[in-house]
Amino acid sequence: MNFEAQPIINLDRCTKCGLCVSGCPENALEMTDQGPKLRQPSICTYCTDCEALCPTGAIRTPLTVTWGSNYLS
Amino acid sequence: MDSQSLISLEFFATLNPGTFNALAGRAFQREIHTGYNLVIEGMSAEACYFVLSGQLRVSRMNRDGRIQILARLGAGEPVNVISLLKEDRINHASVESLTDSTVLVLLANDFDDFLSQYPDFSTALLRNLAKRMAKTTSLAANLSLYTVRSRLAQFLIDLAERPQYAGGWTQDEIAAHIGTVRDVVGRLLREFESQGLIERDRQRIILLDYEALMSEAQNYDV
Repeated sequence: MNFEAQPIINLDRCTKCGLCVSGCPENALEMTDQGPKLRQPSICTYCTDCEALCPTGAIRTPLTVTWGSNYLS
Repeated sequence: MDSQSLISLEFFATLNPGTFNALAGRAFQREIHTGYNLVIEGMSAEACYFVLSGQLRVSRMNRDGRIQILARLGAGEPVNVISLLKEDRINHASVESLTDSTVLVLLANDFDDFLSQYPDFSTALLRNLAKRMAKTTSLAANLSLYTVRSRLAQFLIDLAERPQYAGGWTQDEIAAHIGTVRDVVGRLLREFESQGLIERDRQRIILLDYEALMSEAQNYDV
């Protein structure tokens, strides 16, 4: 499994509503006093659901776009 | 940033030495962190900026609260110039830092002085505005002529061909840029994936079939 990308959580924008924690299909997030954090980063599949659920834009799951190896020389 | 690095940036490279030195003397550097709102739409325009490093996002919000991403700006690009040129001097769009960034700040009064005293500064701004206007015209044409599916295909190809801007786009931002909503972007990405046009690998969208994507990108809304 590829662990290199994880959701980026901006605690300054977080209201601790908990939607990301309850909505994570892998149960990878937990709520702490500071806000949500990845309880088990290794089980996060980067599905981006947490970003979609967050009402304040505190979670970002940015994407990158590249050509496939056929087009890279 | 030292003068040598500054002059290597596109906008500054076109200035003559006298203008460059005057600008370096009047403007000042400012470090801003990720997520910082450098310019807020609708507020009084107090300065223009030149990106020295990092990446900024320019957006406008409509009356329904939907956001349109107008541009991403990197090193060397002027920011908030239109707001200072408008008669009302109200910020025309919002600008947020997507990464830790450094900008050169030129206050409104100094901007006015440069416009009147340094023709090469004005010319450089006009060239930059012409380039932006051409991009905005293309964006408007795309929104009216092409389907969302075509616009997404065009956007993916465009990002892959400009590696400096290819990273850090969320599905909300992609949707805002091509004039749709996140759910539609997600559905279309899944469709492209099932058709073998792209592959998803965590944060990576890998474009697999140039011809098929180009064909999608050229589909008019008929």
